[in-house]
Amino acid sequence: MAKKLKGDFFFLSANDLKEGGMLFYGKNGWTSEFDEAIKIPRNEIEFYEDKCKIYEDNCIIISPTFIEIDENGDVLNLRDKIRINGITIEI
Amino acid sequence: MYKYSDKDKRIVKKRVEQFRFQVERRLNGDLTEDEFKPLRLMNGLYLQLHAYMLRVAIPYGELSSKQMYKLADIADKYDKGYGHFTTRQNIQFNWPKLTDVPQILLDLSEVEMHAIQTSGNCIRNISSDHFAGICDDEVEDPRPWCEIIRKWSTFHPEFSFLPRKFKIAVTGSSVDRAAIKFHDIGLKIVKQKNDIGFEVFVGGGQGRSPYVAKQINNFVKQKDLLNYLEAILSTYNELGRRDNIYKARIKILVHELGIDKFKELVEFNFLKFKDKRLDLGSKFINQTKEFFNLPNLKIKQSSVSFPGDIDFNNWLMRNVVKHKIKGYSIVLISLKQNGKPPGDATSDQMRKIAAISQEFSFSEIRVTHEQNLVLPHIENSKLLEVWEQLKKSGLATPNLGFISDTICCPGMDYCALATARSIPISNKISEKYKNFNKQNDIGNLKIKISGCINACGHHHVGNIGILGLERNGRESYQLTLGGSADENASIGEILGPSFQEDKLMQAIEKILIVYKENRKNENEDFLKVYRRIGISPFKEGVYDNT
Repeated sequence: MAKKLKGDFFFLSANDLKEGGMLFYGKNGWTSEFDEAIKIPRNEIEFYEDKCKIYEDNCIIISPTFIEIDENGDVLNLRDKIRINGITIEI
Repeated sequence: MYKYSDKDKRIVKKRVEQFRFQVERRLNGDLTEDEFKPLRLMNGLYLQLHAYMLRVAIPYGELSSKQMYKLADIADKYDKGYGHFTTRQNIQFNWPKLTDVPQILLDLSEVEMHAIQTSGNCIRNISSDHFAGICDDEVEDPRPWCEIIRKWSTFHPEFSFLPRKFKIAVTGSSVDRAAIKFHDIGLKIVKQKNDIGFEVFVGGGQGRSPYVAKQINNFVKQKDLLNYLEAILSTYNELGRRDNIYKARIKILVHELGIDKFKELVEFNFLKFKDKRLDLGSKFINQTKEFFNLPNLKIKQSSVSFPGDIDFNNWLMRNVVKHKIKGYSIVLISLKQNGKPPGDATSDQMRKIAAISQEFSFSEIRVTHEQNLVLPHIENSKLLEVWEQLKKSGLATPNLGFISDTICCPGMDYCALATARSIPISNKISEKYKNFNKQNDIGNLKIKISGCINACGHHHVGNIGILGLERNGRESYQLTLGGSADENASIGEILGPSFQEDKLMQAIEKILIVYKENRKNENEDFLKVYRRIGISPFKEGVYDNT
């Protein structure tokens, strides 16, 4: 998961296995509320990767990924912004 | 249209139950995601950026009103009230829950639909000309042949795990509306003396390595069709690369071997199969053709008349095409309403289309590969009524073949592979050129937009192609000119350095200025001008700041 990551801080996200929707890792575990996502420093990535593996094995999440952020918590790339905020078009 | 046999029904129902069990095993941990992924993909289920996406097959783009009603119900019950018609004549739902998918598939089976082989490294939906059987320029209706190929390719034991996905298109017309030269195999029904057979093209495709398909055989007899396809697929299955996903499509094999060598290998295999198990008898062919007889269209004297209403006239001019039976027309429904994603239809719109089709078009609907819909048999005297009803639902946009009739992939708004957004670009184009007269002044112009190099938005074959890329963390767009997916197929040429999103519309405007300055008359459309003058004047017009 972490091989291509740049930057020093991250949010952890995944999709809900049953429903497919976006989840974020927060203080109390997985949540659909982005505001509750916790900022993860680079040196803790491995710890959270191991955590993800458990959640994957327990059929809670799918496709976990780290979202690159700056030190203020602002999301850096557009794909992640769209994942968090939803589609940018009117349907 | 084709009706399921009892055997078909049993097979599809059984498949639904198999998938229900596979989902259960996935959710209780008996299957890992690595084990489950190929199973869900073979049932059309992807995981995208925000959610799962289910792709439902619409064989050769043909739908009944009953099926359209069902799709609308599924959109409401299990999704967010809309569906997306694709460039391979299928429909995608963007928000289903994994736990609902078995029930969705069961609901689909009630109207003889499924999602089998809409993904995975197998033979996908057979696509065709959306005017099949109703235009007067075809040798023969391609739909029965699509159905014969569909039957052969569904659950084919040898071709369920090909090196890569495999797409086949069939046309019966000299005018190619099915983009056959951009398919792994393209079939064109042709007549030689008194015999009808197939001209076969192989190795076409887009993606990161675009190729126009090459002719491998100028005439394959009808009875030999499946044997010949079997020979091509066997050759590909044996020699296609499995070690590199980017080199796994048949187009790469054909390119690397050369068409002559590839043909030699196919002919060798063909001789092994010829006159054996897959020979098509005339009884079977004729039985299949019977499913595709035209409805009882009584010849009418009424011609298409242009009354005073300018909006109706514009719609007649752009969205209505001559039917082969006198007194009838083919109506194209644009799914390129200004401000809406190309190819999307809401559940209300789907129901409206189903109802109109039921009342006026013998319950038949077609999906085009350019992401529009077709009402195939509308009596000329009913055109005004049909237009009025379509208009009330935002379905009478008179822009077929115009600049705002873009093909567009879902792009980064939905797709996890995309490097840029494509739908907002399409929306900007629609907004800028929404005025009918402005579009009419430009004339026929196909813009096709992809959000990444995989080219799901067919940018390589756009008269103007737009490819979304990421450059230094920002979206940028590369333009290509001169592509075409018709019978004079060509791959667009890169204009030059890419543009940031905020400069893209300006670049398109400059291209159009060059085109207008160079056209000889109003009948010379963009592609003709491009082919006459080449890319240089456009480069100068767009990049020259002196």
